[in-house]
Amino acid sequence: MAEVVLENICKTYGNSFRAIRDLNLEIADGEFLILVGPSGCGKSTALRMIAGLEDITSGHLSIGGRDVVDMAPKDRDIAMVFQSYALYPHMTVFENIGFSMRLAGKKKAERKKRVDEIARTLQLTELLDSKPANLSGGQRQRVAMGRAMVREPAAFLMDEPLSNLDAKLRVQMRAEIASLQRQLGVTTIYVTHDQVEAMTMGDRVAVMKGGILQQVDTPKRLYDAPVNAFVAGFIGSPSMNLFEADLSRGTLQTPGFSLQLPETVLAERPALRKYDGGKIVFGARPEDLYDSTLASGRSHQTVPAEVVSVEELGSEHVVHLRLDATPVDSGDPDAVEELGGLSNAVARFEPASAVSADSRIDLAVDCAKLHFFDPGTHLAIR
Amino acid sequence: MARRNTRREKLITLALHVGLLAGLFFAAFPIYWMLASSFKTNGEIFALPPTILPHVFTFEAYAAILTDPVKLRFFFNSYLVAAVVTILTVIIALLAAYGFSRFNFRGKAALSTLIISTQTLPPITLLIPFFGLVVSYGLFDTYAALVLTYLVFTLPYAVLLLTGYLNTLPRDLDEAVAVDGGSSWTALWRVIVPISVPGIVATSVYTFLLCWNEFLFALTLTKSTDMRTVPIGIQLLMGQHAFEWNQMMAMSVLGSLPLLVIYLIAQRYFLAGMAAGSVK
Repeated sequence: MAEVVLENICKTYGNSFRAIRDLNLEIADGEFLILVGPSGCGKSTALRMIAGLEDITSGHLSIGGRDVVDMAPKDRDIAMVFQSYALYPHMTVFENIGFSMRLAGKKKAERKKRVDEIARTLQLTELLDSKPANLSGGQRQRVAMGRAMVREPAAFLMDEPLSNLDAKLRVQMRAEIASLQRQLGVTTIYVTHDQVEAMTMGDRVAVMKGGILQQVDTPKRLYDAPVNAFVAGFIGSPSMNLFEADLSRGTLQTPGFSLQLPETVLAERPALRKYDGGKIVFGARPEDLYDSTLASGRSHQTVPAEVVSVEELGSEHVVHLRLDATPVDSGDPDAVEELGGLSNAVARFEPASAVSADSRIDLAVDCAKLHFFDPGTHLAIR
Repeated sequence: MARRNTRREKLITLALHVGLLAGLFFAAFPIYWMLASSFKTNGEIFALPPTILPHVFTFEAYAAILTDPVKLRFFFNSYLVAAVVTILTVIIALLAAYGFSRFNFRGKAALSTLIISTQTLPPITLLIPFFGLVVSYGLFDTYAALVLTYLVFTLPYAVLLLTGYLNTLPRDLDEAVAVDGGSSWTALWRVIVPISVPGIVATSVYTFLLCWNEFLFALTLTKSTDMRTVPIGIQLLMGQHAFEWNQMMAMSVLGSLPLLVIYLIAQRYFLAGMAAGSVK
């Protein structure tokens, strides 16, 4: 077990493409850190640099206090679980798990003891003589985990290990990996593009975009206090609704509606006053927009909205709406796709809501829970 | 209308079958003729009109070949040269293909183009230069002359075929070996080679066939009867005064047998290897 420290790590490819810029991260001993971001954000590159599979252009990297920049992957005391699992197809489960021990010259009896131990932990004992081709996705995933565990490494590196599994199995394996990590207490860096995985598995989450670390914090802090519009849009499903507005004497004005900000909001965010008389970006989480007919007892203001479509999920209704306001692109490609079509906002209504597609409603907005961002830099206004 | 369509379809099917049968006849008849002639007496081969089936079924030609140490030596030479070239080709090509597939190095694209370009030269244009080289190195009429020359022709294709095959194997496997504590060498021999059997078999079969069938260089670069290979041996049966057609055909049958056996055994791998190497 060890702490992993990345200091000013940069990665530039031959064609001068800068995949990672000045990445600084300290991952504590035994911590479960999630690296998350959209495709091409540099999260896998960062992980591969920690593993030693990619050269580091500049910066320092230490694992357990040892500078490992110039070390080969095998000398870094890490184990990696690949997205494709990368199981050796011609070897049995036993041989796959024990391969690193065999390369290290460990005796057969020792190998057998250790592999059996791991197989018991991962419920693979019955499958030790099977080849990977005969295993299900979940079983292969467990073998990949076993191969990593057998080395008793200082850190586990996992590159989207659940992305090849179906939705149901993914939920199950998510819980299994999280519980296994707690049980082993090994420092773990886990890459994913799935923000649900990010929010549910890690102690802390590092959000990346365009090779730059945006924010690293606990899942709750990321959700409640995103540092910029990108993090706000990326974390949370459906994404936060972001709109442009004019701020004038504490009132947000869009082409189709206005919202008076409560005094508490202005008092909590003194920097907001600087934007008075100018443009601002405000954001509302889908759960902070609700059906005004069911909003009794909650402090809210209403804005007119057109219901484009309703997805009835049983536990809630995901309502796609059109508001007369200009949406703001957070920079998350998935969020743009999510909105698409005629709607420009998403709300989560209680299942008791009777709204239907193509109707006009009064949408309740909890103004105390709005988020504010600079229209130019997209940084949070606090 | 429907009836007319059905009739038309039947006619098309009939025409297709006739065409296929004609094609089959065209391809198979020479092989049949070789087989039938090998069981005839030399006199019957010259009979007019020619006999489709041997009137006198005899193993005389086979006996003449299998009891003649000189002719058996042709087979030994062919096997030896083809086997050595195949083994060397696969080992060298695997190493080169692994380099091309897994590493980036200066001049990689140029080298790859150079390898392909060697395939565009008709072998006959290289005959005199090779002859000169082989003689000046004192290799004339030796196995080394044939092995080295054949390698020149088999390696480019083998490198290309195996590079294509290795490119279809995920790099994650090499990286998994690196993380597990192995070198690129370990990854190649312990993981990549065992899962590349289809590609290796396809390459081996191709190389073996090329060497087994080669005539021009074997004729030019060897001189003594002891060094001759099967294709030259068959040609040697055309004497100045007599043509031993039945023996030539029997030797052709015996010469084709190893290829047939290799094809039958390796067919599954050969096809899989060709597909895997070319599709992706």
